[in-house]
Amino acid sequence: MTALLTLNNISKKFFTEEIETKAISGINLIINKGEYISLSGQSGCGKSTLLSLLGLLDSPTSGEYHLNGTDVSLMTRDQRAKIRSEQIGFIFQSFNLISDLTVFENVMLPLTYQTGIDKKVIEEKVSSVLEKVEMLHRKNHFPSQLSGGQQQRVAVARALVNDPTIILADEPTGNLDSKNAEAVLALLDKLHQEGATICMVTHDPASAKRADRCLEMFDGRLISDQQNIRVNKPIELVAS
Amino acid sequence: MPIIIDIKYAIRLLFKSPKFTAMTLMVLVGGLSISLFTFSFLYSTLYKDLPLPEGDTALSISAMINGDYSLLTPYEFAHLKSEQTVLEEFGVYDDKNYRLSFGDAGKNIPGSNVDEGFFRFSRTSPLLGRTIVKEDMQVGATAVAVISFQVWQNELAASEEVLNETLVVNDVVTEIIGVMPEGYRFPGTAKIWLPLSDDDLNLAADAGNYFYSYGRIKAAGEHAQALLELNSLLDNIYQQNVALYDLEKGKKSLQLLTFPFAQTGGEGTIIFAFLNAIAWMILLLACINVGNLLLARSIERQKETAIRAALGATNKRLISQLMWEGIIITTLGGVLSVLLVGAALHYTNIILHSWMPDGMVFWWQWGMDRETIVMAIIFTLATIFLSSFLPAWRSANQDINSTLRDGTRGAQSKKAGRLSRFLVTTQVFLVAILMLIGAMSAFISLKFINLDLGDDYTNVMTARINLPVGKYPEPEQKIAFYQNLLEELKSHPKVVDVVTNNWMGESELTMDNMDYPSDYEKPKVDVIGTMGKTSTIGVNLLEGRYISHLDKEGSRKIAMISQSMAKRYWPGESVLGKYFKVEINGENEKLFIIAVVTDRLNPRTILGKIDSADEIYISGFQFSNNFQAVYYRIHGDLAQTEEIFYQALFKADRNLDLFYPVQPAMKNRSLMRDVMSLVSNLTFSTGFFALLLALVGIYGLTANSVAQRTHEIGIRRAVGATDKNIVQMFLKQGRAQLIRGLGLALVLFALLAFAFNKFSESMFPVYLYAVLALTVVVGLSCVVMLAIYAPTRRAVKMEPSSALRYE
Ligand SMILES: Nc1ncnc2c1ncn2[C@@H]1O[C@H](COP(=O)(O)OP(=O)(O)OP(=O)(O)O)[C@@H](O)[C@H]1O
Ligand SMILES: [Mg+2]
Repeated sequence: MTALLTLNNISKKFFTEEIETKAISGINLIINKGEYISLSGQSGCGKSTLLSLLGLLDSPTSGEYHLNGTDVSLMTRDQRAKIRSEQIGFIFQSFNLISDLTVFENVMLPLTYQTGIDKKVIEEKVSSVLEKVEMLHRKNHFPSQLSGGQQQRVAVARALVNDPTIILADEPTGNLDSKNAEAVLALLDKLHQEGATICMVTHDPASAKRADRCLEMFDGRLISDQQNIRVNKPIELVAS
Repeated sequence: MPIIIDIKYAIRLLFKSPKFTAMTLMVLVGGLSISLFTFSFLYSTLYKDLPLPEGDTALSISAMINGDYSLLTPYEFAHLKSEQTVLEEFGVYDDKNYRLSFGDAGKNIPGSNVDEGFFRFSRTSPLLGRTIVKEDMQVGATAVAVISFQVWQNELAASEEVLNETLVVNDVVTEIIGVMPEGYRFPGTAKIWLPLSDDDLNLAADAGNYFYSYGRIKAAGEHAQALLELNSLLDNIYQQNVALYDLEKGKKSLQLLTFPFAQTGGEGTIIFAFLNAIAWMILLLACINVGNLLLARSIERQKETAIRAALGATNKRLISQLMWEGIIITTLGGVLSVLLVGAALHYTNIILHSWMPDGMVFWWQWGMDRETIVMAIIFTLATIFLSSFLPAWRSANQDINSTLRDGTRGAQSKKAGRLSRFLVTTQVFLVAILMLIGAMSAFISLKFINLDLGDDYTNVMTARINLPVGKYPEPEQKIAFYQNLLEELKSHPKVVDVVTNNWMGESELTMDNMDYPSDYEKPKVDVIGTMGKTSTIGVNLLEGRYISHLDKEGSRKIAMISQSMAKRYWPGESVLGKYFKVEINGENEKLFIIAVVTDRLNPRTILGKIDSADEIYISGFQFSNNFQAVYYRIHGDLAQTEEIFYQALFKADRNLDLFYPVQPAMKNRSLMRDVMSLVSNLTFSTGFFALLLALVGIYGLTANSVAQRTHEIGIRRAVGATDKNIVQMFLKQGRAQLIRGLGLALVLFALLAFAFNKFSESMFPVYLYAVLALTVVVGLSCVVMLAIYAPTRRAVKMEPSSALRYE
């Protein structure tokens, strides 16, 4: 297996009104291509912060981060944006939909920032992901007209629309009932089977079990890193 | 109690963001001050009642013939007075310039010849002595005068014995019979009042004398009816005389206006409306900006408002709470502008009075007054309504539910966005119009200021004389008078040269070898009657000889032509001895060219090139005229050189009034330039201020809309938007607004320009309007785009993760 992400002694500090918050302190982590990782830990321990560092939404205060073997700190802002639009799908803890755009337009957003995609292709892709999350019938609604769970599913659709190689999900099922949650998790499973690398923050031990590797954080540090023996792991993947 | 809490809260908010508060206040004070100043200045100039007892009913009566301004003749007045039933205190006066002589020195002062009812009409008693009575007007009565407080103080050293003293007025020893109270200069600028003589009043209908008249309408409020009766009487009298004396055909009617209104020629309303419209546009602009800034704040607090509403606050409470901030800041702005405008009016008053110490009518006093305060309150209330109430009302009426449940921003943000887009568009439109108007008038003024008139007035003194027709009926008499005067003047050792000029306007030119399809097609020249040497005023000889007294009636009719004319019709040829025909006083006169002189700017091409129109100078000895402007050039400085003229004048005719007093020829011109440069500076700074307002407004709006969309920017960047994508998105939205605003403005400007071009008879070439419009469009576009670019640029610098946390 090849290392997709390499974190080397990564730290992140926040400075607000002269108070320093150390959200991440000295994390070393390697994530391989095709891995399905769950990340858990108590509230405020730095999970979301770590995820946004992984997703290039933020830069670490210190330490090295290599993505596909490239030092991220050497990338220009545009290169990072390009990676975000082409390779990363982000599902936020709070859905982060744009309220002035319809469901369809929200999902379409990542594709509009890629160059050279045909309009028809875009439409097909968006429709197909909306179909997957069963939101196609609401495609012309605005986010404020949807329930929390529905908004989350739209957010998931948006994360999937660009066929990302890395999916970063921050409690994707936090707002969903068990049926909807299962649907989203099944979706992630399927994407994983198709080769996507997934990193999912979750509080729910049952969800965590679906991943092949469980990370646990405490106060900005990684305190446990365990391989999961997955019960329902497809045979062919075990073989590979 | 709740109100006090709200006010406290509002004050805390204002202090919390001092930069925002200062900016809002600045915009407000600017907008309010400009509109308030414009209003107050024009109102005082045009509409204020005459500051005399019962001044509001005192009417200035003038006449119109076929729509042209005219006055009553003594004959018409006498008949009208005896026949009419609607006016009381109907009388006449005549504005004059008087020369006070003190030995060798002297002084010009404005004065009036008045009848015995005049002072009663003005409801003012003399401070000392008496005013003019019927006996003073009788032929052969002792020469008497009533003087103003100022003349008493300055010319007579406030002498206690003033009533036993005399003044030499126009070379006549005159007894002082009374002194008027301080500040009294009725009917306008008078400093001395002499009786009209019965001789002046009992003139035949064709005497060609005219008087101003005054009166009051008996039955208050029956203005229209009174006018109807007077007009029919007057027209009757006029029509009889038209037949008898071959006067101008047409209808003669009266105009009854208040004195202040009459002063501006009755056309004040248009100016008042136009300038106030511009000032209000600026106020509106200020309101939009203040409203916007406050709206931005209320949107920021939309969630807070929704929470308050959810907790049970009533609409009224919410509106009041949101409004206090606006009320406090607007009221403060109102008070500051009243102070500022008060100071500005005070200085304007001083400056204008120092420019024209004698020329200002006495009721033109500018300063803070009741009307201005009332207007300030109205403006402030309007501003509060437009910029505080509307946004607060809007914000309080939002849909609480959707605001609270919307994860990102209020669901109203779409509506708010539309509103602010509309406001930016309006803003761009208003600024474009103001800038175009400002640029145009600044350009016109500038052109006036830097005009090359083609003459040279240094060391030149001028006076204007209009010989009374009754006294000088024959051409020989007129010519003899002016010839005498010129010779007297010339004989003075300090005088270099003298000339008279009489612009007769433009006439049709006929060339022998040309075909003209119609008279309309014939070229025009400006005709100037002259006696003496035109080099006195810098119109120099290039070829040939000057007009002399030998070019008189009976000898060959001659003309000097301008260089431009020689080049136009006889390029490369010598023109001396050639001839052409010009219509003068209704006759097509054949004139032989005796000289070519330098070009001069014609009044009708005042904004064109100096050689774009032609002039000819004809002999004043062949074509006589009552009216002449007399110029004389002096060796050395001009101090004390007025007396030279008066001495000469009194020798030529002791009892002649000057149409316009003696003064340096430059004086009016520099005054005009001063006024023009003031106008140009004013319009320019108004346009500039409008631009500044718009900049602040557009910047504030954009910065705010960008700030509001920080979260959205975070999302967009998280899903892969580059910095360029974001900046482009904002620029694109800005561009749409810009195009809409500018497009509208351009359409309106095109209409305005078209109208102006027609009205000004194509004073400017058409491309100039295009250049002007293009400059404004390009300039404004750059400014707006920059105002969008800068805050957007700053917003994208933020890490997406922080932007996402932004609420
Ligand atoms: N932009 C920021 N400024 C200041 N402090 C921050 C910022 N972002 C995160 N923090 C702090 O860093 C710490 C980690 O935050 P983070 O959001 O990563 O926690 P989390 O593990 O995702 O918690 P939860 O499970 O509740 O979502 C917290 O103490 C938080 O207050
Ligand atoms: Mg979190």
